[in-house]
Amino acid sequence: MRALRRLVQFIFLAGTVALLVRGMNGATPNTCETYCPFAGLVALYPLLRYQTYTCAMNEFHVALFVSLVGLTVLSKKSFCSWICPLGAVQEWFWRLSRKLFGRTITLPRPLDRPLIALRYLVLVAVLGMTWTVWQGDLGFRAYDPFYIIFTGFQGHELLGFSLFIGIGVLIVALLVPMFWCRYLCPLGAAIDPLSRLGFLRLRRVLSACTDCGKCDEACPERIPVSQLDDVTARDCTNCFECTGACPEPGALELTLLGK
Amino acid sequence: MKKGIIIPVAVVLLILLAYATTNAYRVPTLQMQFVEERPATVEMIEYEVAGLTCRGKSMGFARMIGSTPGVISLTTYVRTTTAIVEYDPELITPDEIVRLFETPFVHEGEEYQLFEELGRR
Repeated sequence: MRALRRLVQFIFLAGTVALLVRGMNGATPNTCETYCPFAGLVALYPLLRYQTYTCAMNEFHVALFVSLVGLTVLSKKSFCSWICPLGAVQEWFWRLSRKLFGRTITLPRPLDRPLIALRYLVLVAVLGMTWTVWQGDLGFRAYDPFYIIFTGFQGHELLGFSLFIGIGVLIVALLVPMFWCRYLCPLGAAIDPLSRLGFLRLRRVLSACTDCGKCDEACPERIPVSQLDDVTARDCTNCFECTGACPEPGALELTLLGK
Repeated sequence: MKKGIIIPVAVVLLILLAYATTNAYRVPTLQMQFVEERPATVEMIEYEVAGLTCRGKSMGFARMIGSTPGVISLTTYVRTTTAIVEYDPELITPDEIVRLFETPFVHEGEEYQLFEELGRR
């Protein structure tokens, strides 16, 4: 399953890069923003309040966001590790970093926990600013590393510092695993509550587990899998890195609605 | 682990569902009426317009055609880059409307054409 997940992840990343190249050649007016489900969340307020869309948002964004909600209820934050191109880049940078440097920086828990709360502040700030100060305009574009990077640093309404944000996120991803996803991603914050539901979740079979801890080392989200019976953690993306690293057949199994 | 196949299947199905439901309804990005009283004869034409990609562009499109006699209302849909124009056929023709929005504007000596008709029905 880990190999299948990486293949699907690669397909979505390749598609996003192809869109970038086609956009830069003028072959399409579409950008990565055309397929971003976060725009669907942003579109909900003007749609419900004024029965209209603002900026470049439309029905497809809303439909994508609703689909994302469905996927999250079914399979936790699978979007993050199966689909999201920025998540893919960060994960691959993390693996590259481990190969190059042997280790990455793990923020200590007293720092890690408050920083995780930061993504909720980012979510509130982005939605609040969009619906008030920016008057429905996607002003977040200039600060969004997904948009900055996957429009080739040439997207609409980017500002001078956008370049530093895009490059900065990539550099930090080499040092601190999944930095953007873990501490700053507003879409991740928005689907957090639903991720707890996740009908598909991993379970540790105690009789087969030898407590070797390889699953903990393999997890990009730093979930202590070896200490859990059921992996209900919000940040679990069903990436199956833990199951891929586990040397004991059947020690980690995927359950659907507990079975 | 065979249950894991549910995830990519769900991804594909949910994306297809998003495409399908998107085409089931549409909400306009912009709706404007330019006259207080509608004339006796009103016709409607739908243009596919390159460049009509956001609400801001829709507002610009409205400014380009809205003050011309005969243009009654405008509705835009950015997802399909479509503009639906109601007009008085006794005052203006569809081709004249196209000339209005295809007219380039000049900025610092350079001409910029914002919109281009791709088709109509």
